[in-house]
Amino acid sequence: METQPAKKNISSYIIQSQEDEIKRIAQELHEGVGQTLYSLYTGMQFIQTAVDQPEMKGYIGDMAQMMEKTIQEIRLLAVELHPPALGTLGLLPALKSYLKLYTSTYGIIVDLQNEGKEVQIREQERITLFRVCQEALANIARYADTMSAGIILRWKPGKLSITIKDKGKGFDVDAAMKNSAGIAAMMERMLLINGKCIISSKIGEGTSIDITLPLY
Amino acid sequence: MEYKGCSPGESVLVDQACEKVLTELECDFVGLALQNTDGPDVKWHYAAGNSNEKYKRITVRYGKGIAGKVISTGRPMYVDNFPENIAGKALEYPIMLAEGLKHAYAVPIHFNGVPKGVLLIGNRSEQPISESRQSTARDAARTLEKKLNG
Repeated sequence: METQPAKKNISSYIIQSQEDEIKRIAQELHEGVGQTLYSLYTGMQFIQTAVDQPEMKGYIGDMAQMMEKTIQEIRLLAVELHPPALGTLGLLPALKSYLKLYTSTYGIIVDLQNEGKEVQIREQERITLFRVCQEALANIARYADTMSAGIILRWKPGKLSITIKDKGKGFDVDAAMKNSAGIAAMMERMLLINGKCIISSKIGEGTSIDITLPLY
Repeated sequence: MEYKGCSPGESVLVDQACEKVLTELECDFVGLALQNTDGPDVKWHYAAGNSNEKYKRITVRYGKGIAGKVISTGRPMYVDNFPENIAGKALEYPIMLAEGLKHAYAVPIHFNGVPKGVLLIGNRSEQPISESRQSTARDAARTLEKKLNG
């Protein structure tokens, strides 16, 4: 029979492997495929200037334009998969950048507040906190039926707490816990970094997700 | 930069056209998305029967979301019984989520023969969009096309 620590290790291994793979694909897209396409793009621009035939010039120009769009798409896809800001600038800038994309995708305005000074935390913890916030916001877009939401980050000595709140439809937390893998995954992810995730919701009043992480 | 093809007066005409489609097709929502003039992104510009203002902030990339897909393929798209019968994830359909739509039918709008816009009709109720309503939506798109092409 499996012991609880063994189960925890397996969950941790699966989540970590998945994150590593996502990061690898994002980097490969950005630094591999993206760079190669950029070389082709500059090559096409060079050919365009060298060609005299107007029809062919226009044709190559169209192809270069399409190539430019593809490069942009690949860059955006890589950022969506694994935001580079998460590794270089930290959790807060990565969240700010994600919220811009979130509002322009779902039309929901998110008020982000930060109290205290961001301290350096391990990359695995940054990724976990980011993914939990992403999942909470995705649930708001899918189910909450609201125009706005709020996120508050509080950096205190020894503890980081993040609250994601909305005044949407709300839901039955116990029933959702049984049916939704997303909510269970949020809690599991937080447990794996020794954090906590508490979900409270009232039908007709909204939802609040409180995540906390001890800081050492 | 956003689409700037319409003067304020023309905008009112397009708004009125959306309202007319809403009444004629007896549907819950009508929206018009247009591709930006200087980029591939697609934005919802006009709506009738909207339950909130979220559509005004929604921008999808070319090839993404219903509007982006209809513009990239140049073909109509029917979403039936959302989110049950969909290709991909529900989160890839922002306008369906924003307006709480259950059924939607989207038709391309052409500018100089190139698909640059989308007319979408949708129902929040369980009422699917019949073939005859889809045909009327295609006709409405052609009428709107003429208006927008001036």
